[in-house]
Amino acid sequence: MPGVEIPIEKWTGKIKEVKLGGGKRKEIVLGGENTLPFLSFEGSVPHPPTVAIEIQDKEPAGWSPILLSAWGDAVKDPATWAKKAAEYGAEAISLRLVSAHPEMGDTGADVAKKTVDKVLSAVDLPLIVIGPGVAEKDNAVLVAVSEAAKGQRIAIGNCEEKNYRTVAAVCISDGHAAIAKSPLDINLAKQLNILLTDIGVPADSVIMDLDTGALGYGLEYALSIRERVRLAALGGDAMVSMPVLSHAGAEAWRQKEAKASQGMPPGWGSVEERGIIWEELTALTVLNAGSNIVTMMHPKSVERIKATIHKLMGKK
Amino acid sequence: MSKFIATRAIRGAHAAIKMADDTLQDALKKMGPDTPVVFKDKIGGGTAFYLPTIWGLLGTKVQKLGELVPVMDYARGLLPPVPAENMWLPYLGETLDAGAATLYAFETIEAVRFAKGEQPEKKDGFEYNGPINDTQMRAWGIQLVDGRMPGFAALVGCAKSTEVAVKIVRELQSKGQLIFISSNRNGRNVADQLREAGVEMGYDTFIVPFGTDIVSAIYALGFATRAALSFGGVEPGDYRRILLYNKFRCFAFVLALGPITDMEYAAAAGAINYGFPAFADTVIPNILPTGITKFEHVVSMPFDDIPGKDDLEKAERLVQRCIELRGIKIKIAKVPIPVAFGPAFEGEVVRKADLACEFGGKGGMCFEWLRMKGLDEVEDGKVTVVGPDMDSFAVGSKNPLGIVVDVAGRKMQKDFEPVLERQIHHMMNGGEGISHQGQRDITWIRIHKNAVAKGLRLRHFGDILHTCLKNDFGAIVDKVQVTLYTQPDKVKELIEQARAVYKERNARMAGLIDEAVDTFYSCTLCQSFAPTHVCVINPERVGLCGAYSWLDCRAAYEIKPTGPNQPVPKGRVINEKNGEWEGVNKFVNEHSQKKIERFTIYSLMDAPMTTCGCCECVMAIIPEANGVMIVSRDDYGMTPCGMTFTTLMGTVGGGLQTPGMMGHGKTYVTSKKFIPVEGGIKRVVWLSKNLKEELAEELKAACEREGVPDLMDKVADGSQVTTVEQLLPWLEEKQHPALTMDPIIG
Ligand code: SF4
Ligand code: SF4
Repeated sequence: MPGVEIPIEKWTGKIKEVKLGGGKRKEIVLGGENTLPFLSFEGSVPHPPTVAIEIQDKEPAGWSPILLSAWGDAVKDPATWAKKAAEYGAEAISLRLVSAHPEMGDTGADVAKKTVDKVLSAVDLPLIVIGPGVAEKDNAVLVAVSEAAKGQRIAIGNCEEKNYRTVAAVCISDGHAAIAKSPLDINLAKQLNILLTDIGVPADSVIMDLDTGALGYGLEYALSIRERVRLAALGGDAMVSMPVLSHAGAEAWRQKEAKASQGMPPGWGSVEERGIIWEELTALTVLNAGSNIVTMMHPKSVERIKATIHKLMGKK
Repeated sequence: MSKFIATRAIRGAHAAIKMADDTLQDALKKMGPDTPVVFKDKIGGGTAFYLPTIWGLLGTKVQKLGELVPVMDYARGLLPPVPAENMWLPYLGETLDAGAATLYAFETIEAVRFAKGEQPEKKDGFEYNGPINDTQMRAWGIQLVDGRMPGFAALVGCAKSTEVAVKIVRELQSKGQLIFISSNRNGRNVADQLREAGVEMGYDTFIVPFGTDIVSAIYALGFATRAALSFGGVEPGDYRRILLYNKFRCFAFVLALGPITDMEYAAAAGAINYGFPAFADTVIPNILPTGITKFEHVVSMPFDDIPGKDDLEKAERLVQRCIELRGIKIKIAKVPIPVAFGPAFEGEVVRKADLACEFGGKGGMCFEWLRMKGLDEVEDGKVTVVGPDMDSFAVGSKNPLGIVVDVAGRKMQKDFEPVLERQIHHMMNGGEGISHQGQRDITWIRIHKNAVAKGLRLRHFGDILHTCLKNDFGAIVDKVQVTLYTQPDKVKELIEQARAVYKERNARMAGLIDEAVDTFYSCTLCQSFAPTHVCVINPERVGLCGAYSWLDCRAAYEIKPTGPNQPVPKGRVINEKNGEWEGVNKFVNEHSQKKIERFTIYSLMDAPMTTCGCCECVMAIIPEANGVMIVSRDDYGMTPCGMTFTTLMGTVGGGLQTPGMMGHGKTYVTSKKFIPVEGGIKRVVWLSKNLKEELAEELKAACEREGVPDLMDKVADGSQVTTVEQLLPWLEEKQHPALTMDPIIG
């Protein structure tokens, strides 16, 4: 379009680069851009967003049959599942230690360690490990996970305002990246980053999980919080300039629209496509708002999002 | 620095170096320089950190005997000469160097002992632990970082008796401290005493006996060094950061029991480098100036002089004092009361039929008074009830009650008294079956029958306050003691004293003016919703939600230095009259995503404060009336500017800076600094009726102060006027001063 001048914003800040993996393992770099998402005409976007596939250490309960059928028997064993995820194009594996939850099996540190060992030897992709989300159990299993993965530079979460020290400590000690989770609140996000760096986690080893709402379930908050964090970071606030991780898949597939079966209600369209679209749109939105890594669940939506990222990065 | 201690420590360091030199030379001769040196504990657990203190502080990997030679050369070089009789000014620095030299010497000696197979030490069939292995170091290191374990106590020597030794150890364990044991007095040490008493030692019980001489105390510092290397992200050789890490993160101290030897002084000097103070239960000179350690360096607490009815009580106090002196804060897991406790009970109402008894309220007498005291005037956790208790009151009766809370803390300030006192309301309400309203001498507490039936008594009020104040305000509160009075005479007497204090506080608050401070405070709490909004809070204007005063913010900053209340230094003045300062502008700019460039404290028309949706009131100019109107959040009616509160809010809220419109707290109207640039309270032409009523007295005082005592009669409210058309004739008729003031829009 001749005659149209594209306005260029000059930002002073830059998103920190956080490396995962490396050594014998594939390496990914999150962040590094000095402009808003995908605006490569304005600044540099050295590393396209990463698409990770989320797996669990336990056969999932209550999942949509669409998701289950996509993975088949692989969901029975995390190592097999991780391998299959790699075949489906995962650029990283996000392992959720569901079984450690007191109501989901209450497994302990030894089981977590074994699972992580298995997954690490099954694939050469970078790993993210998320605890069961109960402070005490998180601390117990993630300490073991960290030790098991020493030297492989994984990302471990979650650190939250009320419970961050233990995970932070092992991340420092074993050289991993810490995932700082805050509930859709820029102040808390920043405060947590300050707390983490204060106790010695290097700033290039923090990944922010700003929390995600799925399409129809607060996605607009997820969008605006990312946008604001990103604007603040590019504006020069180093304490919010860590890369952002979003669990787009888990959020989307939790919702009834993704799960409800065909014809319930009739107007909702194909059940085959619905959940995938739900996940795709959720992921796309958070990516456009600045997420540097999304974790996803269905191979099909992974494929589509990867293709979209490819296009948005201006690649043929 | 005490010359006595410096002399003895330096003398001890010389002795340590000599001992190390001799041992090393002898071993080199007998075993050769290539003999490997490896640290291991008694179960064979090792370390990947070589000789950890030497590796950490000097960056030197020692794996063979020969490699110790340069280390000893370096240590010798650190040694200052022993101060001469007539030399009166030994420096702290020299003593610390002597301490560091001692640590290298000690580690060298232990290394040689390992090479000779003499470590871990055995004595009468008892095996000492030797250095802590890496696996255990990691497990405890995590706990040091996440706060489950404050630090360690290195017990040196021998306690007064076996019972005292056991008591000291138990008390330390109850505070979560690790216990390390070394050295001896006449051949006995704490480990011998614990063995006699049948106390298990080992990693499982958090008691680690290192050895029988002071040299083995080096294992404590090796542990601290490894913790810093593992969890502080510190590189070996970066001694400064290792020492700082320990000073701030590892709450350790040395407790010397019994007479102290030169070499122990030298070791203590080494520990002080790490920020670990030394306490002694014998008479020695104190070194009180703080600096290297967080607080005092060396404190003497002669055992027999410690108050207490018997040795066990003395031992308990001794530990308590060590914990305080090292600045260790212990969190209490659960509020120890017979009813449930939590935010869920905050909104509870106690109905008449359920009422066991009440305190205060209409015609009653009940007050709360929190006061600051000296650290030695408060006994932490002590709760005293003076007078009859709840179970003896008639059902449904009203009784007098005085709650006196004494708090002490190194970082406590008199100004924080009212800030903490106001929290009592919120804390007490957390108890199931307790309903609390009001504050100061208008407190009203109602108790549910079920709570009393479950065993709730007055002392539990004290337990609630003790636990909550320490847990929530531990940064400024070290000790809390509560006394509850129910005798009418006593309550009457004390309520008068308390009232005098409230009055004094009010006067102080009134005297706390903007000019008297050089720092304002920010509040960015609302950025969660209004991303560019920053409240700058000065002593004479509360935050616009009305919830945060300057003092509150100052206290909040002390409590949570990374929180949303940050100091805003005024900096160079740009315009005194408008209240514009360089520092404030810079802060606001940086914290408003660079949206707000200028910011005045005293003007409504020129770069006023931004507004977010939670303000108590909105003020807006009425150009026709040459004045301003103020509408409060509780006023749902129409206002002369043609907008209700909600509509106005929608116009100015969300972090915008709108000259001529501004959100603010209710009490701001009566402040001396109420829009002074525009002429102050005389500009107010319309005010919500409920505000007029609620603030009647304060408004009266403010109007008198400004020389317009009858102003409020001339200010319209919503019951009289709701449009500009009605407002103008009203103002004319009342001869409102705004009409003859300079034009508000200049
Ligand atoms: S309105 Fe109140 S809570 Fe909000 S930023 Fe201002 S002072 Fe803080
Ligand atoms: S909700 Fe307020 S931003 Fe909106 S207002 Fe309340 S805290 Fe300020």
